[in-house]
Amino acid sequence: MPRGMKIILAILAVAVVVGLVSLGTLQRRVQRLRQSQMAEEQARHAVLAPPISTPSDVSVKAQIFWSGGADKIAPVPLNLPLSADPVQRSRQLIQALIANPPSDAQRTLPADTTLLAFYILPDGTAIADFSDAFSSEMPSGILSEEMAVNSIARTLESNVDGLRRLKILIKGQEVDTLAGNVDLTGFFDLNSNLGVVPTAPNASEKGSQEVFGDACGVH
Amino acid sequence: MRIQVDPKAPRPVLVSPLGGAHCIISAILCAVRNSVFSITLLLFLAQAVFVLAAPTVQSFQEGQPQPPPPQEQPSVPPPPGAPAPAPTPAGPLIVLDPAHGGTDSGARGEGGLAEKDIVLQIARTVRAQLERQGYRVLMTRSDDSNPSYDDRAALANAHRDVIFISLHVASTGIPGTVRAYYEQMSSAAIEPSATTTPRSRSFPRRPSNTLIVWEQAQRPYLEASHHLADLIQLQLAQSFSASPVTSTAAAVRTLRSIMGPAVAIEISSISGSSRDVLTGSGGPLSAAIARGISALRPSSAEVK
Repeated sequence: MPRGMKIILAILAVAVVVGLVSLGTLQRRVQRLRQSQMAEEQARHAVLAPPISTPSDVSVKAQIFWSGGADKIAPVPLNLPLSADPVQRSRQLIQALIANPPSDAQRTLPADTTLLAFYILPDGTAIADFSDAFSSEMPSGILSEEMAVNSIARTLESNVDGLRRLKILIKGQEVDTLAGNVDLTGFFDLNSNLGVVPTAPNASEKGSQEVFGDACGVH
Repeated sequence: MRIQVDPKAPRPVLVSPLGGAHCIISAILCAVRNSVFSITLLLFLAQAVFVLAAPTVQSFQEGQPQPPPPQEQPSVPPPPGAPAPAPTPAGPLIVLDPAHGGTDSGARGEGGLAEKDIVLQIARTVRAQLERQGYRVLMTRSDDSNPSYDDRAALANAHRDVIFISLHVASTGIPGTVRAYYEQMSSAAIEPSATTTPRSRSFPRRPSNTLIVWEQAQRPYLEASHHLADLIQLQLAQSFSASPVTSTAAAVRTLRSIMGPAVAIEISSISGSSRDVLTGSGGPLSAAIARGISALRPSSAEVK
């Protein structure tokens, strides 16, 4: 083998070794960066979504719908200071839904989700505008997406009067689906009493009244 | 300000503490950079060739009432010894829809497990088994493409007497359970034309001489879809223990524009089951679908 070829091969071998070594370092750096970004996101979340308090706040035992098993949601009674104003009340409820699940297993919305805005139109249409994390960090699947939407709809329906339907936006825009399956182009019926199934024994032991495993209407 | 340079002045020399070794290290680093660049260039060229060679996905143009359906790939041949399919099968056309595809992986599991791959494999199994029983079957995709929701609906709506089955794998849920979903639409958006169309639990006739809103094309078939989902779910509950016995209403995006009974079936879950377990569910799944369709349309049992 010519000497030049040997040198080239040696250099290539060195290059491969250097590449492998630097790849490991690069992976560690990416991991560190990801962790720091998550910490920043949590800090930003705390700043963007501070606790909402209004002069008309009264401590109420609210029914918040979190996961009541692998495939259904169930109400959990929670003492919350809630406003008399329906918009502020709705914001307080959704913030509690995002921030205060009894356990991680009961979480229905991604932890980094932020409620950017909330409106109620005169016809009773509630419009909830969420941050991108609601869509991007939601596990894809009909079941998980439907449970997320249902937990919002049922929590609002159980604690705020006069709401007829719910529209969900992501960063102020209408999107096709939540995470590839559930249709967000339409409206979700509220106070329609759809999807009530008999109480599960374990749910009633915890003080829950109903278990909801079904959907509310859309379009 | 002008800088004058004396040409006779000695050139500055970089002095390295390593002396001659510095030159060797510099040469090696230069060679490494060149080799890395060459490898990157080769990889880029290979990727470009691959992308150019891949088939393109037809995009759906809005405003065209009947876009051409996606290219249908030849079906998986039945294994040796299996009974030959009926030469001219009757009954409904079953459109199998493996969800997601392409850049949309759907649910993700450990070890690179992707919903789009699993549902495609399950759909191939279901198709082969249904065809063996004499059903006519089409698939919305037969490779790693990602037709739009409207493309999938257009393929189904281009035919009459269609039953649409969308296949999914969930991220969550009790592992080993399967759920059948039918479309649920808001009562607030019911349009008069949609409510006056004839409905039937078994198989409603496609309304003629009426304009149909594409986004609500499923509406006249909601009851039939609910009935079919219940029939399939009942069968699934027998094959997959701990599955519910009744179907679930959900706002599934892919179902809303289908002109025919439409059901989404979702297997739980990609995070709690292995690839073999998930893909192995194709057999019981196709049996449940076939029995459900037979119960919905007793006449379709004649093709068996």
